[in-house]
Amino acid sequence: MTFRSNGRHSPTEFARVPAVSTSAAGSPSPSDIAKAFAEGREESLADAYRQWSALVFTLAFKALGNRTDAEDITQQVFVSAWRSRATFDPATGQFGAWLTGITRHRIADRMSARSRDHRNTEAAAALVNSEAAADQVDQDTVDRVLLADELAKIDDPRRTILWLAFYEDQAYPQIADQLALPLGTVKSHVRRGLLQLRDRLKEVKGDDAS
Amino acid sequence: MTTHLEDEQLAQWVLDDQTPDTAAATHLQLCARCRESYAELQEIARLSKRLPRLEQPPSELWGQINAELGLETGPVPGTDLREDGQQEPTALRPASPERTNPSPAGHPEVRRFRWRALAVAATVAAVLGAGAGVAGTLLATRDDTKAPVAETMIRLTPVAGQSGDGNADLIQENSGDRLKVEASGLGAGQGFYEVWMINEDGKRMVSLGVLNPQTGGTFTIPQDLTQQGYRIVDISLEPNDGNPEHSRASIIRGTLPG
Repeated sequence: MTFRSNGRHSPTEFARVPAVSTSAAGSPSPSDIAKAFAEGREESLADAYRQWSALVFTLAFKALGNRTDAEDITQQVFVSAWRSRATFDPATGQFGAWLTGITRHRIADRMSARSRDHRNTEAAAALVNSEAAADQVDQDTVDRVLLADELAKIDDPRRTILWLAFYEDQAYPQIADQLALPLGTVKSHVRRGLLQLRDRLKEVKGDDAS
Repeated sequence: MTTHLEDEQLAQWVLDDQTPDTAAATHLQLCARCRESYAELQEIARLSKRLPRLEQPPSELWGQINAELGLETGPVPGTDLREDGQQEPTALRPASPERTNPSPAGHPEVRRFRWRALAVAATVAAVLGAGAGVAGTLLATRDDTKAPVAETMIRLTPVAGQSGDGNADLIQENSGDRLKVEASGLGAGQGFYEVWMINEDGKRMVSLGVLNPQTGGTFTIPQDLTQQGYRIVDISLEPNDGNPEHSRASIIRGTLPG
């Protein structure tokens, strides 16, 4: 058994799961970030980037299939969010939903541009299908990225339990065994985790205005 | 007076893939609210079966955003360690885009979860206040302007019928990834030891080079290899036969978290 005694207890597993805790010291909550952002406080841009850059980047990457475009889109989204911060009302809007909305618009623009390029070089026969697809980011893909991001923001041990259940496809007894937790505890975490994910997804999809 | 079905009960049915009992089924037929809840949870469960890995934008993007906005660039957000040692997303490594299900069901490698189990259990223990030290990920922020180094250490354990053990330490920096390998008790077979990165598809592999079991070694990992699913670190015993392919005689193994 190898021990690395750095005083930290962070399993390698978490190299994969960003722990974006809203309760950690020095880490403002999403609603605090949203408020500061709307007020134009510059430090809130870094907070927003910390909270949502993985979400924005992953959405763009999954939709567009390449990192360069995804980097472009991510930059556009944060730049345009900052410039249009006055249009965001923290009292009525959910910041994550607002950013997601901007992201989807940017992705759709990029897809349209691509399909225009495509039309310029391809026969008209191909264009009917590509046009239908052009402005549509696959909803399942978006939802899955949103869920992955929400899962990453859930506190432990629930985050790890859900990770093992959903990413590792492990059964309850396996998870209970691994984490040395009672089976009932594991089941209840997965159950509540599912409800939590549902509620968060609803929240973040609440409005798509941008 | 209608008694609605409990959300938790609905969630459990969804998770267990069970059909609600007769009374509940009747209620679901009559009650739009519960039906909607049930459908929503089924949808979340369906989506959750194939969750993507989150991808991180490159660290220079933060500077580019600030430059475009004409703002002062502070340190890249997310490189700090939290109080509890959890890292922020910066060290998240992207998965290969084509792999949506990182852990195919029925993967025969039972061993791969052994070390991980220990690591995960230790963390949960720490969260629950028990506390235990274990190999894991260490983020060392050298200073605010430099990118962090993520280090991931895994154990290498003997494959069936073999003996020995070791560690593989994945060191991730902006300049590239390195794998530091140590081994002991490999036995005295005929030939030499070689370090391989095997893809989780079980088909593709890349040789990192020859390992001296007495001294260990540090190997450069070609870019993006781990992201492409080459996560199984394998030490093999190779006969001196000039054949560059894997001898199939694996001695110890471990899987980097994917």
